[in-house]
Amino acid sequence: MMHFRKPIEGIERPQMEADVVIVGGGPAGLACALRLSQLIDAYNDQLEAANSSAPPLTKENIYVLEKAREVGQHCLSGAILDPRSMRELLPDFESEAPIDGKVVKESVYYLSRANGFKFPIVPPPLRDHGNYVISINRFVKWLGAKVEEAGITIFPGFAGSDLLFAADGVTGVRTEDKGVDKFGHPKANFEPGSEIHAKITILAEGARGSCTKQLIERFHLEDPDHSQSYGIGIKELWEIPSGRLLPGEVIYTLGYPLTTREYGGAWIYGLSNSNASTLISLGHVTGLEYEDPRIDPHHAFQSLKLHPFIRRLLDGGKMIRYGAKSLPYGGWLTMPQLAGNGWMILGDSASFLNSQRLKGIHLAIKSGMLAAETAFESLVAGDFSRNALEAYKDRVDGSWIREEMYPVRNFHQAFEHGLFEGLIRAALQQVLRGGNLGPDFKNHAGYTKLRRLDSLGQSSRGREPMLGPAKGDGKLTFDKLTDVYYSGVRHEDDQPIHLVIRDLDICNNRCVKEYGNPCQNFCPAAVYEMLDAPDATAGKQLHINFANCVHCKTCDIMDPYQIITWVPPEGGDGPNYDGM
Amino acid sequence: MIPMADQIIVVAEQREAKLNRTSFETVAAAQAIGKETGWPVEIVLPGYQMGSLPQDLAALSVDKVYSLEARALELYTSDAYVDALKLFLAQKQPKLVLFPHTYQVRDFAPRLALALERTLISDTIGYKWENGKLLFTRQMFQGKFAADVGFAGEPPWMATVQIGTYRADQVEKRAAGNAPIESVSAAEHVPGRIIPHEIFQETKQAVDLSQASVIVAIGRGIKEQKNIAVAEDLAKVLGGEVAASRPICDAGWMPLERQIGSSGQTVAPKLYIALGISGAIQHIVGMKGSRTIVAINKDAEAPIFEIADYGVVGNLFDVVPALTEEIKKAKA
Repeated sequence: MMHFRKPIEGIERPQMEADVVIVGGGPAGLACALRLSQLIDAYNDQLEAANSSAPPLTKENIYVLEKAREVGQHCLSGAILDPRSMRELLPDFESEAPIDGKVVKESVYYLSRANGFKFPIVPPPLRDHGNYVISINRFVKWLGAKVEEAGITIFPGFAGSDLLFAADGVTGVRTEDKGVDKFGHPKANFEPGSEIHAKITILAEGARGSCTKQLIERFHLEDPDHSQSYGIGIKELWEIPSGRLLPGEVIYTLGYPLTTREYGGAWIYGLSNSNASTLISLGHVTGLEYEDPRIDPHHAFQSLKLHPFIRRLLDGGKMIRYGAKSLPYGGWLTMPQLAGNGWMILGDSASFLNSQRLKGIHLAIKSGMLAAETAFESLVAGDFSRNALEAYKDRVDGSWIREEMYPVRNFHQAFEHGLFEGLIRAALQQVLRGGNLGPDFKNHAGYTKLRRLDSLGQSSRGREPMLGPAKGDGKLTFDKLTDVYYSGVRHEDDQPIHLVIRDLDICNNRCVKEYGNPCQNFCPAAVYEMLDAPDATAGKQLHINFANCVHCKTCDIMDPYQIITWVPPEGGDGPNYDGM
Repeated sequence: MIPMADQIIVVAEQREAKLNRTSFETVAAAQAIGKETGWPVEIVLPGYQMGSLPQDLAALSVDKVYSLEARALELYTSDAYVDALKLFLAQKQPKLVLFPHTYQVRDFAPRLALALERTLISDTIGYKWENGKLLFTRQMFQGKFAADVGFAGEPPWMATVQIGTYRADQVEKRAAGNAPIESVSAAEHVPGRIIPHEIFQETKQAVDLSQASVIVAIGRGIKEQKNIAVAEDLAKVLGGEVAASRPICDAGWMPLERQIGSSGQTVAPKLYIALGISGAIQHIVGMKGSRTIVAINKDAEAPIFEIADYGVVGNLFDVVPALTEEIKKAKA
C-alpha cells in the first residue's frame, strides 16, 4: 500500500508574519532578494539624509525558502551566463563571482548516425562571445552568500509546500511537514510546517514549480492556446584527458540520437584544466513533446556518448557527477499571468527562458530584479493588490526582456512538425523579426502528443538508440541507477511518497496497456518501476522508488494522464549538485 | 606553560559496564599511527564506577589508561562529556585525540572540538604520515573519492575513525603486566540543558549491524516476504544478522535499520553473504569493506560478482538451504 505525502491535518501550526516570502533560492529568487535589499537600503539612507519622520523599511521580515539542504544544491544548468543582468545587479560582479572563464571558441554540429557535420557558421543566436562558462551551483551559492550578507534570511532545507489562498489571491505559503513516517504519521522528530503569512508571496521555484502549479490551476493563469513546453536536460560532468577541449570552448550538436521528429540537442562546455585533465560539462536536452512513449531521454543521452564524435572526446575519461532537470522553453507566448493579489512569479516558473539562445539565467535574474522593484514600491505604498503588483508585468514589457524574447516568440513552436521544417521556419522568423506568415503559432502541452502503443506501427523509425532504459557499459555509458548515485541524491526513507499519484488504477490497468507506463522511460532517476505482481490484472504493478528522485519534475510534466503531482519531500532531501 | 607531550589519546566508549567493541578498533588505529610517529598511545575512558573496564583496556599495548570519572558521566549527555573531556584534554595537551565514529561520538565530538577551538576530522578511513605531517583519509561524494586531509590549527588534533576501518582483533596486547591506570576525577558537571532518562530500545529487533561479524543480506531475488526465512536460517547457523538491500526495506519486508547501502548502514563484517542482490553501486558502498564477500545470484552478469570473493551462479532457493544444512552438519 502506497502512502502519498499530504499536509498533516488537525494540528496547530506555527504562524509567522512576513513582508515578502520568496519561494525558491535560485538565480531568480536570490536576485530578487538582493535587489530588494539594495532598494530598501537606498530608501532608508535617503530618509535618514532628509531627516524624514517616515518609518524606515525593514529587511527582517523578508524570507527566502529553499528546499535544498544548502543554497544551490538543486540548481542544474549547462551553464553559460549572459552577464547583462548581473552587471545591472552587481556592477563588476566578475571580479568576485565564481566564473570558469570566458567563452573562447564555439561551434555547432549536426550529427548523423556516424558522422558530425560542422555548421559553416555559428547561427547568431548561438554565438556566445562575451558570455561566461559557469557552474550554476557555485554561482548560486555565491549569490546566496551575498543575500545573507545583505541581511536577508534564507531558510535552506525548507520547501514551500502549499500556498495559502484568499478568495482572489495569495496570502502566504506553508512549509512542508518534517518528521512524517511512510504511513503519514508523525515521528518522534515531527515538526509541523509553518504557515508564513506574507504581504507578497514571490514564486521562483524553477521549471514546473509545485506551488506555481497550484496557483496557475486555481486562477487559470495559463492561456489554453499556449501551454508551456518543456524539455528535460540531462547532464554529466566528465574529467577527460587534456588537449581535447579548451576551457571556454563551446560545442552544440543537433541530430543523433534524436530523429528529425524529436526536438532537442546537446551541449559540451570546456570548464577548467587541471593536471592532465579537463573538466567538461556534457548534456543533452530532449523536448518533452515526443510521440513515442518508449523514448527514454536518459537513454538518448547515453547513446549520444557512443557517437564517434563524442566518444573521441570522452574515451579514457571519467564521469564524476550526474543530474537532470526540466526547463521551460515555450518562450514569451507561454508566459502565465505574472502577478496578482499578493503574488508574483519569476524565472523558469514563469517561462523566462530564451529557447532560441538556450539561455535563461540572465532572464531569471532580470525578472527577479523587476519583481523586487515592484515589491519595493508596494512596501512603500502599503498596497499589495493585483493593481500594484501588475506593475511587474509593465516593467517586463518595458525592459530588454521583451526586446529579447518577443522576436523569438514563435521559435520553439516552429519545430512542432520536426527539425527540418523547424529550421526553415526559424530562418524565416529571423527575416520577419519573429513573425510568421500568418498568426502566432499555438502551443499544446507536450504530453498530448504521446501516441498509444497500438498506433505506433511496427517500425521504430530510427529511434532504437532511445527506446527503453539504457543498460550502460560502466565506462562511457551508465544505467540510470548508477547515474543516480552520482547525483548525490538522498531522501529520508521513512516518509510518504512525494510523487503523488491520483489514481493508481490508471497506472496498473490502463496505462500499462495504452502507453506501456512511459514513466519508467522518461524519469531519468529510475523512480518508477513496474514490478511483477502475479495478483495484478496486468501482471505488473507500479512501484515508486521516490528516494531516487532528482526533483526534475519530468513525471509531473509528461505523464499522459496528468495524474502525477510532484510535491516537495522533506526539506533538505534531494540531489546534491555540488559543482554542477 | 604546560609542556607539550607528543602522545595520542584514544577516547574509549562504554555503556552499562560494557566496552564498545569499536574502542578496540580505535586503539588499533592509534597503535599503527604511534608506531610510525613514535608517539606513545594512551586511553581515556569516561564514565562512572566502571568496574574492571579500565583493567581490560590496560591489558592492551598502551602506555597509560585514564579512568575519567564523575557521577555526571554515568548516563551519557553531550554536555557532561564535553565538559569533562575539555578539561582533561586541555590539561594533557596531547598531539592527537582519536575517537571511534560511533553515534555517541558523532553527537559530542564536534561540540568538544568547538569548545577546545581545535580541528576535528571526522569519519576517517586511514592515515598517512608524510614528512612529519599527519594526514587523514576521508571519503567524499559517498565514497567516490578519498581525500587526504591535514590539520590546519594547533594540536590537540582530533579525528574519528570509521567503524570497520581497523579490526578489533588487530589491537596489540601487552606481552606481560598491565599499563598503569590513573583515576582522574572530572569536575562535577551541573546538569542544565540535558537530563538523561532511562535508556530504551526502540524496538525489540533493534540491531547495530556494524557490530555483527556475519551478515546475510537479501535483495530482490528473495521474491517474497515469506522466503526471508531461508536467509534467517542461514544467518542463524552462522550466528549472524540478517540485512537487506533497499527494495526489501522499501517494501516493508524488513525494518529500515537493517538496510545496507548509501541510504542505510555501512558495514564491514568478517563475512558478508549477498543473496539475490544485483549489486547496484548504492548497495556496494555500504558493504565493500567486508572481509569476505560471498554472492549467490542467478544472473551471472550481476555486478555483485565483480566484488565477490566467492560467487555462486544459481538459484538461491536451491543453494542456500543446502548450504545451511552443510554448515549444520559441519558444526555438529
